Amino acid sequence: MSNLSSLSFYIPELIIIIAILLVIVLDVIPVCKKYTFPLSLGAILLASVFLWQSYGESHGLFMGMISIDPFSHFFKMIFLLSTFSIILISRYEKQLDSNYSAEYNALLLIVLLGMFLMSSSINLIMIYLSIELVSIPSYILAGMLKNDKESNEASLKYVIFGSFASGLMLFGLSILYGITGSTDIGVVTAALQAIEYPLSIYFPLILILVGFGYKISMVPFHFWTPDVYEGAPTPITAFLSVAPKAAGFAILIRVFYTMFTLEGSVSATLPLTNINWPTLIAVASAVTMTLGNLLAVQQEDVKRLLAYSTISHVGFMLMAFAIISPDAVRAIMLYLFIYLFMNLSAFYMAIFASNKLNAHHINDWDGLSRKNPVLCAFMALTLISLTGLPPTAGFVGKFYIFAELFKHQQFYWLAVVAILNSVVSLYYYFKIIKSMYLVDVEGEVNKIEAHPVVNWSIILFSAQNILFFIYWEPLIGFIEKSINLWSG
Amino acid sequence: MDSLQSYLIIAAILFSMGIYGVITRKNAVAILMGIELILNSANINFIAFNRFGGMENLDGHVFSIFVIVLAAAEAAVALAIVINLFKNIGSVDVDDADLLQG
Amino acid sequence: MESSILTLLIFVPVAGAVLMLFFAMLYGKENAHYYKWIAAITTGIQLVLAGILYLNFDPALSITESPFTVQLNWITHFNIQYFLGVDGLSIPMVLLTALLSFICIISSWKIEKQALGYFSLFLLLDAGMMGVFLSMDFFLFYIFWEVMLLPMYFLIGIWGGPQRMYAAIKFFLYTLFGSVFMLLALLALYYYSDPHTFSLITLIQTVGSIDATLWGLSVKYLIWMALFIGFAIKVPIVPFHTWLPLAHVEAPTAVSVILAGVLLKMGTYGFLRISYPLLPGEMVNFAYILAVLGVINIIWGATNAIAQIDLKKMVAYSSVSHMGYVLLGIAAAISDSPAGAQAGMNGALMQMFNHGTITAMLFLLVGMLYDRTHHRWIVFPNDYEKPELAGQQGFGGLGAKVPVYTGFVAFAFFAGLGLPALSGFISEAMCFIGGFSVFRTLTIIATLGILLNAIYFLRAYQRIFLGPLNETYKDLPDITHRELFTIIPLAALILFFGVYPAPLLDMISPAMDGIIKIVQSVI
Repeated sequence: MSNLSSLSFYIPELIIIIAILLVIVLDVIPVCKKYTFPLSLGAILLASVFLWQSYGESHGLFMGMISIDPFSHFFKMIFLLSTFSIILISRYEKQLDSNYSAEYNALLLIVLLGMFLMSSSINLIMIYLSIELVSIPSYILAGMLKNDKESNEASLKYVIFGSFASGLMLFGLSILYGITGSTDIGVVTAALQAIEYPLSIYFPLILILVGFGYKISMVPFHFWTPDVYEGAPTPITAFLSVAPKAAGFAILIRVFYTMFTLEGSVSATLPLTNINWPTLIAVASAVTMTLGNLLAVQQEDVKRLLAYSTISHVGFMLMAFAIISPDAVRAIMLYLFIYLFMNLSAFYMAIFASNKLNAHHINDWDGLSRKNPVLCAFMALTLISLTGLPPTAGFVGKFYIFAELFKHQQFYWLAVVAILNSVVSLYYYFKIIKSMYLVDVEGEVNKIEAHPVVNWSIILFSAQNILFFIYWEPLIGFIEKSINLWSG
Repeated sequence: MDSLQSYLIIAAILFSMGIYGVITRKNAVAILMGIELILNSANINFIAFNRFGGMENLDGHVFSIFVIVLAAAEAAVALAIVINLFKNIGSVDVDDADLLQG
Repeated sequence: MESSILTLLIFVPVAGAVLMLFFAMLYGKENAHYYKWIAAITTGIQLVLAGILYLNFDPALSITESPFTVQLNWITHFNIQYFLGVDGLSIPMVLLTALLSFICIISSWKIEKQALGYFSLFLLLDAGMMGVFLSMDFFLFYIFWEVMLLPMYFLIGIWGGPQRMYAAIKFFLYTLFGSVFMLLALLALYYYSDPHTFSLITLIQTVGSIDATLWGLSVKYLIWMALFIGFAIKVPIVPFHTWLPLAHVEAPTAVSVILAGVLLKMGTYGFLRISYPLLPGEMVNFAYILAVLGVINIIWGATNAIAQIDLKKMVAYSSVSHMGYVLLGIAAAISDSPAGAQAGMNGALMQMFNHGTITAMLFLLVGMLYDRTHHRWIVFPNDYEKPELAGQQGFGGLGAKVPVYTGFVAFAFFAGLGLPALSGFISEAMCFIGGFSVFRTLTIIATLGILLNAIYFLRAYQRIFLGPLNETYKDLPDITHRELFTIIPLAALILFFGVYPAPLLDMISPAMDGIIKIVQSVI
């Protein structure tokens, strides 16, 4: 589709772009500064409305640079929801300096735009650009607390790891361009099938996997994750742990299913005959979840513990990625959707604890259930869901992933590794529950109330764990409709 | 010397030098320079492939121009972060940034 | 009415827990009184429902014919059904669960610490247990099986003894370790059977045709082993039993009662409900090992119990020993004499029920002693915190001081060691008869267990209740009316089924015959 006619299908992105520019402009006008916050939220809401309206459409825009399809729509909804929630909650985080709130919101919106592009890129140039568009503002966001040494350090580590990984990926892309002669991933697929030397595909494949792996923090490209998550302001940690990760999975699925499968579509059932990337992914998955879990067990800092645990969740999702089938994609999307909510509510609880009690270490959470019984009950629900026990949605997510392995009768060893890992994860998630509930505190305790926004965010995001357990059929039906990649 | 191979060799050498720099250097600025080398090696690849690979379009050129722009943006952000770190801990040595570990 | 009774059995406690939350919102959390009464009334209703179920229950009908069966689609996409049913195998467990839950609520009357949490979690636990025994869909079964762990973790962890946190997480990790393997077995059964289903009734027909292999072993064997790990940890079969003494000892009295009275039975119930009918071929090959493990359980549990100086720990180990009889009994299903197989299987199920009542009574009695004296050392350990007491007898001569209590303890101890005319005797004897028809030597070794049981029960009785009165306890009050109310129903059942087991036997034997038939058909 030509550039001009593409614009009419590009309204949500355009709204975000206009909002970014407006926020930056309003920031320099002193009287208008306070409107940037409602403006950002309003723009996201408006974009969601337009996005919802166009759900189901499938087009290639801007002369084959990006595509819009139900698959990208699904992820865009996830991005909108998480960004909206983060912008909202950040206002009530004590750590953040409200003088910079306009810049902060503008940066978040830029990341949002980048993630939109990530989920719909179908050209190598756009893939690289969109990943960078997400990464560069993220580096700044991680270092948002200018005078906090930990935050500085987090952003330094992030920028070094991030640009190194994207550099490697770029080199991989250049090789891929060289051997196939195109930057359009559909054309690349066709060219790859004719190539006789597997090594020449493996090399760019692995380099590209570095770039994507770093975005989703797959072992061994995970080193930045715990440090950045611990040092960054907590809302940013919460944001980084869900939205860019979902974007990473979106681009991973799109690129691998388009470029490295025989049919070049999501319904393909075979990898390219000359390379066996599912096994590569299966091994990465096993290593990722095991390492994430084993390191999480040793953590005493809540944010760091959650950071390592997100690594192990990525391992779980990769498990389904080792199976090439539309159902496996559905399992990943379902898991991502549920993971979004439970992870956000867990991090919001950490925001609550650090705001009100200055609590970072697990021991600081001792007896929290008596200070705020309602939130602790929901936090316990979230942690149970993160562990993957019924009756919670986390269990449903894990169940679908396991079911994929059994359905395709592949990688049973991975299933055994994964269940042992979920037993390990019980241990560290329940360290938090133990602190909140089991440890006795001496003397009188004062009730602590959270700000209503924080309070209701935690409750809503946590309550879905029960809701989607009792009846998840509509959710899976919606996801099923969304596994529909635009192809040529 | 006017062949694809020689350009690819130069790119590969640059790429390796970049990785070596990133891995061995302790100075944050030097690490960033290593990353720049990696990006530029990819640029050489793109241009060389486009020039010698018999491609009909200018995708490679376009790609490398975008990379140059992004490299500049990335360097600006990275240097700002390094300067901020220098203000706070008085060093640009990555080994001195050791608050977060475990 | 008939088709909703099973649903009500599960969800009445849940409704009770929800009601408590409403009360907490309206009247504040402090008023423990409301919660006790709500819990007592809900479990009371549940007990009445179980009674109605029992009165209308026809043992001759299979699950598919029974009027109580409920079968609704839950998630059509995975063919998961809300499928509840009751047959001779589950009804004694359902009755036991309802009875013990009610009794436990009454026995927890004095809980003051966070009463809202305690009673609501207890009701959720109750619902989970009921669900396990009523589910006929493997997925649903698994859900309830896991759901039950969560309240248990909190009940041990918050209201338990000094080592409660360690005991709670150990219990949880062990049982979760077992149940995740069950999850794999569940998925394997679903995807290897054709048509794909979780229904335990349909699976009986479809599993037989699986002949795939994996890693050089047959898939059916792997499924059997995965299920075995899950159930064995719950029973617990030695060497998976190490969570049990700790959890039992640290848990508050009512929770120990539920743990020993109901939770342990879930392991053997799982064998009978799932492993046996679905995988009879593997069961036949495994029967000998099962019998050996049963005998090890009997002897190991009993010898450990002899070594204990903590009364509650002694009772806990006696449970390990008693569950060994059940294992021996169910292993006898392969017996070539029909009478032997019947005796073994029926004996095992009766032992599950009887042990539930006996051990519940034992734990309740131990709890009463602990409430009064704040310790339960038969003999103080050598490193006791008060050095002057180390190595001394903990009690002594209480018999004269608290005669009614002593009478009940004597009754319970005798029931535990298998005295004729009390229910434990009949079921143990039937297990031995069944076992003897197949595993002669093993059964002879196992009978040693009876002797060992007698040793520790009688010795504990002598040390606590006979001899000169320990002066510390000269003001010890005797059993109260509320406590009597919890003990007497159990004692009555023990006595009744000891003298006249026919009602129980008639109720269960058709279902057990069905399982025996499936097992015998593959020999």
